Amino acid sequence: MSAPVIWIVLPFLAGTVILFIPNTRVASIVGGVVTALLALAALAIPIDTALLLGSVSFKISSTVQILGRSLLLSAADGPILAMIYGLATLWFFGTEAAGSSGRFVSLGLAIISLLVASIAVEPFLFAAPMLEMAALLVVPLLVSPQQKPGRGILRFIIYQTLAMPFILFSGWMLAGVEASPGDIGLTSQSGVMLGLGFAFLLAIFPLYNWIPMLAEEASPYVVGFLLWALPVFTVIFALGFLDHYAWIRTSPGLSNAIQFAGLFMVASGGIFAAFQRHLGRMMGYASIVETGLMILAMVVKSPLSVEITFMLLIPRGLELTVWALGISVIQKSAQPLRFSSIQGLARTYPIAVGALVLAHLSTIGFPLLAGFPARLVLWEELASQSLIYAFWILVGLFGLLTGAVRTLAVFVMAPEKTPWAWNESWAQSVMLGVGVIVLFAIGLFPQTMQPFLSSLPALFEHIGQ
Amino acid sequence: MLILIPSLILFLTALTLIILHLARPAFRYGWMVAVGGTMLGILVVFFWQGRMPLNVSLHSWRSSTLYQEAISFHGDGLTWPFVLSLSALALTVLFTVAARSAFANPFAWAGTLSLIGLGLLAVTSANPLTLLLVWSAFDLAELLTLLRSVDGPSASERVVIAFSTRLAGIGLLLWANIVSISSGSTLEFTSFSPQAGLFLVAAAGLRLGVLPLHLPYPSESTLRRGFGTTLRLVSAASSLALLAHIPAESVNSSFTPFLLFLTTIAAIYAGWTWLRAPDELIGRPFWILGLASLAIASALGPNPTGAVAWGCALILVGGALFLASVQHVWLNRALLLGAWSLSSLPFSLTASAWGTGRYGIFLPFLIIAQALIVAGFVRHALRPGGRDSLDAQPDWTRNAYPAGIILLLLIQFLLGFFGWDGAQNLGYLPASIAASLLTFGLIWATPRLRLLNPVRAHWVKPASSWLDGLYRGLWGLYGLLGRLSQAVTATLEGASGIMWTLLFLALFISLMTQGAP
Repeated sequence: MSAPVIWIVLPFLAGTVILFIPNTRVASIVGGVVTALLALAALAIPIDTALLLGSVSFKISSTVQILGRSLLLSAADGPILAMIYGLATLWFFGTEAAGSSGRFVSLGLAIISLLVASIAVEPFLFAAPMLEMAALLVVPLLVSPQQKPGRGILRFIIYQTLAMPFILFSGWMLAGVEASPGDIGLTSQSGVMLGLGFAFLLAIFPLYNWIPMLAEEASPYVVGFLLWALPVFTVIFALGFLDHYAWIRTSPGLSNAIQFAGLFMVASGGIFAAFQRHLGRMMGYASIVETGLMILAMVVKSPLSVEITFMLLIPRGLELTVWALGISVIQKSAQPLRFSSIQGLARTYPIAVGALVLAHLSTIGFPLLAGFPARLVLWEELASQSLIYAFWILVGLFGLLTGAVRTLAVFVMAPEKTPWAWNESWAQSVMLGVGVIVLFAIGLFPQTMQPFLSSLPALFEHIGQ
Repeated sequence: MLILIPSLILFLTALTLIILHLARPAFRYGWMVAVGGTMLGILVVFFWQGRMPLNVSLHSWRSSTLYQEAISFHGDGLTWPFVLSLSALALTVLFTVAARSAFANPFAWAGTLSLIGLGLLAVTSANPLTLLLVWSAFDLAELLTLLRSVDGPSASERVVIAFSTRLAGIGLLLWANIVSISSGSTLEFTSFSPQAGLFLVAAAGLRLGVLPLHLPYPSESTLRRGFGTTLRLVSAASSLALLAHIPAESVNSSFTPFLLFLTTIAAIYAGWTWLRAPDELIGRPFWILGLASLAIASALGPNPTGAVAWGCALILVGGALFLASVQHVWLNRALLLGAWSLSSLPFSLTASAWGTGRYGIFLPFLIIAQALIVAGFVRHALRPGGRDSLDAQPDWTRNAYPAGIILLLLIQFLLGFFGWDGAQNLGYLPASIAASLLTFGLIWATPRLRLLNPVRAHWVKPASSWLDGLYRGLWGLYGLLGRLSQAVTATLEGASGIMWTLLFLALFISLMTQGAP
């Protein structure tokens, strides 16, 4: 048995089997259990180390060869796999509570396994097609066969598809750069190609307009899943590039451009969020701000940059799960998800509204919540470089805060004498409650993330040096 | 760990009350458990004397190299009076609740003790990180409590607006932290960067409603004497404690006179409205605003002991007044000790208020504000009858209730002489005498001048008209920016959006590559 088979092939097969389970609840439980087991296995079973089970000795090898390429998951990947499958567990257990179909679990598992393959494939440039395949698999989740795809979905798939040739082409050019590092023309051309590829993949300004559009026209739970999964793996892919090619890290022009792009995403995403009147779009803009923060973390001039990036990834998954689930619960009583439809819902859906608002506050970096420690560290590192950078982050987060306050105000402005009621189901309440508890737990005890962060320097050993 | 014990005792007592109430609803000694726990807490606070300064740091929070600061608490001669005042307030709330109709409510007692426990953590916070965490916990608790207690869209909206100003205060404190880091300073209050000091003042001022002038609390809240008073006073104390940490070099800024000007306006406005408020509970937000303004003025002096003195007066004098719900002639007269505590005369609680500060031309106006507040206090303390009487209460209530009020009066007296940096102080006699004379004048004139008579409750509005205009202007700017943002969004998301996007992208790349070789 090899690690890629366990964490890539098995979940893909499980997804295929779940496709044939008609009952959403069963599909949700099976999917959740599978990912939970995979997360536990990633934590408990060391890769490439001989294990003794009674009298039986076995070893999980790290590599498998497919079509002349290798899929490699080393021991250092264990915490990342645990984090990814742990967060996927939350998403899949929440499927029924969110009112999504069983197809979400099966396709979701397939998407996760393809994305894990994207971080395992060697040479790592082949991650681009994996990401593209994952993006294509998202489409059936976003739009049913009978439905006409909206403009947001079309833009999403156009931009994701445009990213692939840019990245593959830049990879071909990068080989030339390595061979002749003095060729400045080739270096800058490959830099632009690479930048464009990641700009499309990560939806960097102005290429992020598909996110709010999609958040308005598709299921919030699916959009939340998409906004969690794709950027997380793209960031890991981007870290691979940074780690492999020294000139990307050392080029001041490229580094400044990436930092500028990140700052622009944070500031513009926050400012746009301040004026939104749709819950889905608000979540979309918040995810744009978070992606901007992750981009800033990747290139911050600090030996801690990799750790800070991953510190941002874990809360992002949690926040989006809770946020998307909260919106999905409310959606049953509020269509469309505009402010005019949701006014006063805090009294009828107190748990969903509370969870949604807390998830929103966490993305702002409200102290006590999961987003705070990572933002504080990133902000401090950036401030020691430039107070201007720190100021633009403040602008973006202030915009998000304005959006959160407006959302909260609309939710609580119920007509007089409206009684408090509890309309969430037990499953919804438990899922939202667990999500909120974990948000607080990470915010109060950020050291709980330490096991996931400790092995990262081994994965990206050149970054931050 | 001694510094954390009073808070832990209060939290444990609150937890015990809840468990007892849920497990044994008929349990009759819950109130005694609450009182016993609180007394123990006060006893521990007295043990601090002789052991100060106290420090404790929870290093486990920064288990890696990622965090430059840890959650830390610090107790010294400036924090001790706050801790003592808050602990005494807890006991007074429990004693006085015995005389009210809604007595048997263990959840309210547990809530009171928890809030005061959080308040103790706030006033002993040693760095911005710790204070941020405690403020956030407090603000969330306040938001939930108020949202449960109000009804109607406009009242609920005001609660959210109050919460948003608190969040803005948290943001300013965070920004002060960032500014301090960018100038290479360490992250403890004791070594905070001077450049960041004014942000600390602004953060406290914003949370207290002084800078800019606004009422952070929804005045129509149904939370009245017991829990409401605790919530208001502890909330104010948690922000006021920050003022004791302002670095003296920070106030040598060119912004200081401007901030002092705004603070003086807020103090006079609050003092005037407090003097004319129909009763003490309606005037309560203005009491807090007025004394908080004086505390901020002291901090800008810079006079940290003065800021602490005003803060303790806010809790102790205000607590005694707002918790006194029963008609009792001698107690009403005893409450007048509060006027002494507010007078800044030698050996009073606020004797250090005007001592070392540099207030320039603002000092006379601040003294006027002080006189308005003291005159208002005397008027409310000597209010006419028409309330419940203690005569109908059981014996133990007739003893417990006055004991609670007298406790706060004793602590006011004690702090004038003992236990902290501002004790046994002669103060600045010209200022204190002027304030006292002006107070006597106002008390004499109140029944004689119609202008000084109390007004009807319904006109007591949260802000003055010119401020309304300012806020309307800001709202208009927000609307304008909103329309601009919608126009950009419509362009990028419209049918020609991809073309516009690619155009922006080309511009972006050309801008970025312009300076590259």
